[in-house]
Amino acid sequence: MFLNIIKTEWLKLKNYLAFWLLLLATAISYPGINAIVYYGYDESTKPKNQSGQLIKMLVGNPFHFPEVYHTTAFLSSFFTFIPAIVVIMLITNEYMFKTHRQNIIDGWQKKTFVWGKFISVVLVSLIVTLFYIAVATVLGYIATPDLTKVDVFAKAKYIPLFFLQIFTQLSFAFLLGLLFRKAFVAYGIFIFYGLIFENVAVAFLKIKTKQFGGVDYGQFLPLEISDRLVPIPAFIGRFNEADYKIALANIDKHIAYSFAFVLLTWVLSFYIFKKRDL
Amino acid sequence: MSVLQIHNLSKSYGKIKALDNVSFDVPKGSVFGLLGPNGSGKTTLLSIILDILGPDTGSYSWFGEASTYVHRKRIGSLLETPNFYHYLSAVQNLRVTQSISQRGDDAAIDEVLKTVNLYERRNSRFSTYSLGMKQRLAIAGALLGKPSVLLLDEPTNGLDPVGIAEIRDLIKGLASEGHTIIMASHLLDEVEKICDHVAILKYGKLIASGPVQSVLADEDCYLVNAKDKLKLVAIMQNFPGVGRVHETTEGIECYFNQTDLDPETINQYCFGHQLVLNQLVQKKKRLEEKFFELTGQP
Repeated sequence: MFLNIIKTEWLKLKNYLAFWLLLLATAISYPGINAIVYYGYDESTKPKNQSGQLIKMLVGNPFHFPEVYHTTAFLSSFFTFIPAIVVIMLITNEYMFKTHRQNIIDGWQKKTFVWGKFISVVLVSLIVTLFYIAVATVLGYIATPDLTKVDVFAKAKYIPLFFLQIFTQLSFAFLLGLLFRKAFVAYGIFIFYGLIFENVAVAFLKIKTKQFGGVDYGQFLPLEISDRLVPIPAFIGRFNEADYKIALANIDKHIAYSFAFVLLTWVLSFYIFKKRDL
Repeated sequence: MSVLQIHNLSKSYGKIKALDNVSFDVPKGSVFGLLGPNGSGKTTLLSIILDILGPDTGSYSWFGEASTYVHRKRIGSLLETPNFYHYLSAVQNLRVTQSISQRGDDAAIDEVLKTVNLYERRNSRFSTYSLGMKQRLAIAGALLGKPSVLLLDEPTNGLDPVGIAEIRDLIKGLASEGHTIIMASHLLDEVEKICDHVAILKYGKLIASGPVQSVLADEDCYLVNAKDKLKLVAIMQNFPGVGRVHETTEGIECYFNQTDLDPETINQYCFGHQLVLNQLVQKKKRLEEKFFELTGQP
């Protein structure tokens, strides 16, 4: 069954120019943001004078192996909204063309249709993770002066963490697309919620932690749940060591939360598509 | 044997009852016409039997078994509008259809595209097609792999007169090969030319179903003429068992409740009343006429 689903989804996507262009945009944005920050770091630390050395001492080596896996994962995660367009498009196109109906008429079960989208979201998440790995590896090789003195893969755990983060957030984008059916509505909500509403809510709930019995409910918000899989990089963490250590210690907890959120998202997607008249 | 059995299907949209306790069977090998004015529940009914909508109550079975997705793979369907990926060509779209339904192969895709006269434009994107071409592609999708049952909702929508005639011939050809065809249409003339069974819906209720001839033949109609038309009308209104009698431009139309009336009886009756008929023709009622009569439309 799954081979047939993969083949069918591939037939839908392989000649879809917009899909490949958006993936290309993601492929460009990831090295773009990382290269800009790296260039700024490189320029600031290049001078052999006191200020250059001071900055280097202060921020450390964020683009050296193995820290580069953490730094690039954090910087790349700012561009989740581009693959989110791809995922929202994957489901809202079906509604726009009414092909979600035709797929069922032609002989798919409703759950088969949603499995097809699940596989597509996994595929997009994998492609995006590959972009991140490529950027981290290339930057690490460029920036690290002596590879023999570092453990290159010591922080490679950020690879699966990045994948889980992107998959969790793209699953949320998919659910919005399924719920609202229109691309501009789903994408508008995703952008407004992700860029504005949730950031305000997280900050607000953090302030109110004491009033809520010491629980920071902001950590359970849809995007924040997985945002905390990849905390701020070490060079920013140096400014508040205590918070940084707590953030690192909470990663394991957020792995469990993210898995639970992914499960909830897809159970809801299967349920909604099954119950809804097409 | 019935290909499709429908039992007491009902479906409401809020306060509006789109289908009200509808039941009928579609015999194997028949060309079954589903008729009804706009909003009568035809598309709702077809959507339910294709699992696009869930019924409120009632059930249906395909091929004598409770319906599953496996049965839908054996049914070539066109429901409402042609639904295809706009950015894919005809061939690429039919490959998706083929992959899901498991009907046909690359050769079959070429064959159906030739059948609906789209082969020359097979590599053009769907979004560049005219309405008629989109409809042809939808028919091609339904025909792919020669399914044993075809379900066509308004198949001639958007087609020019030549296209309509081609589709009519195509359906007749498939019917003669033993395919079962279920067709919803507004074009009563088309249905009368093609279908051997009909079901008529009005406001979600089934008001007639069965073989076309039995649905039509619940009363006889004769066209009679004489020099003295006023006297003829007066005499015929007293004929035992007569229903409506009214004058048309062709003559006097008389409807009889019995369906085995011998024309000789009418002739003798008029002659017995000192009136010589100069015309006596049994008039076959047309489906269109019956449809308007049943649905109460002009």
